[in-house]
Amino acid sequence: MAMEMEACFAHLVERWTDQVVVTSAGNASEMWWKLTGETERVFYLEASMSLASLFAAGIAYGIPRANVWAFSGDGAFLMNPGMLTVERRLGLPNLTHFLVDNGVYGATFEVGMADAGETDYAALARACGLRNVFRFGTLGDLRDGMDEVERVNGEAFVVLDVEPLGGALPDPPMDGPECKFRFGRYLERTYGVRIFDARV
Amino acid sequence: MAGPDREVAAAIAEQAAQSGIELVASLPDGWIAALIEAFEADARFDHIPVNREESAIGLCSGAFFGGKGSLALMGASGLMTCIYAITKINYTYMVPMTIFITMRGRLGDRAKFHVSNGLYLEPVMQSIDLPYTVIERRDRLGEIRRAVAHARTISRPVVVGFTRDLLYGESP
Repeated sequence: MAMEMEACFAHLVERWTDQVVVTSAGNASEMWWKLTGETERVFYLEASMSLASLFAAGIAYGIPRANVWAFSGDGAFLMNPGMLTVERRLGLPNLTHFLVDNGVYGATFEVGMADAGETDYAALARACGLRNVFRFGTLGDLRDGMDEVERVNGEAFVVLDVEPLGGALPDPPMDGPECKFRFGRYLERTYGVRIFDARV
Repeated sequence: MAGPDREVAAAIAEQAAQSGIELVASLPDGWIAALIEAFEADARFDHIPVNREESAIGLCSGAFFGGKGSLALMGASGLMTCIYAITKINYTYMVPMTIFITMRGRLGDRAKFHVSNGLYLEPVMQSIDLPYTVIERRDRLGEIRRAVAHARTISRPVVVGFTRDLLYGESP
């Protein structure tokens, strides 16, 4: 079973409170932008190819008070599934890694993936030693399960089974430096962390 | 045959600490085995072994936004696998980072499989305008602090390359 992607993301947006969000290339960035129009609390890491969750992990590591949501597409994830071993090693309790599993490369006209959508990412995560692994294929399960996702002690890895979008959405209309400074200034203002004026 | 020199490794780690580095993400090359041990044993650092070098680029790029000084430590071959990540993440979003590498393939490296690094490592870095400095002697380790600061100044990664003679304690 799989959810409509927009409905799935709409539910997550409803639950979105103070979390810092990092989205990966393609549908995840586009959909989050469509639903939120947010320009500060979100880093649209559109040039990432498998590194969005580790980028998010770096933020979570640096700011333990910040709750960080990371979105990976399954195409990106499959390029570097070993990332999970690093995430397990980091063991960040303030990181939630959502894997958007639609079985296609959403950023490139939904060309099919090598695994034809057959990979059990939740099982893969468990095999890598992650303890808090969830998989949701219906909106009802997602609604019922998110409380538990937010309660767990340790990083949560959440597979979202969604249908292919069926078309492209507009990209967030920000260049890299604008995204960097909007996001970074938000973190500085909100968490008191020194990013741009740090003297190292 | 003697391995990498622990005193040199400790001196490099000291420079990194003085530069504000707190997080070290590494994937090994034989030449930096002692350096990885030095970071692992030093309480001033959080050392995270990564599954591949690109993961270090992603993690350290995020750590910048967490306000943490970070360092990606890898071999020359590892850097060659990171061109996409560096140009897409660090260049697109102007994220500074310090990357330590080995200068494989130079005179004195007997590993035939590193011939390609001797031929192409520096030209590749030059071709993407990736600033780098090569440290061959202990009395130049202060260059590390300048490299870390320079990355912040230019909002891009800066590479510090270490030679075999330095890492094996055989340099002047």
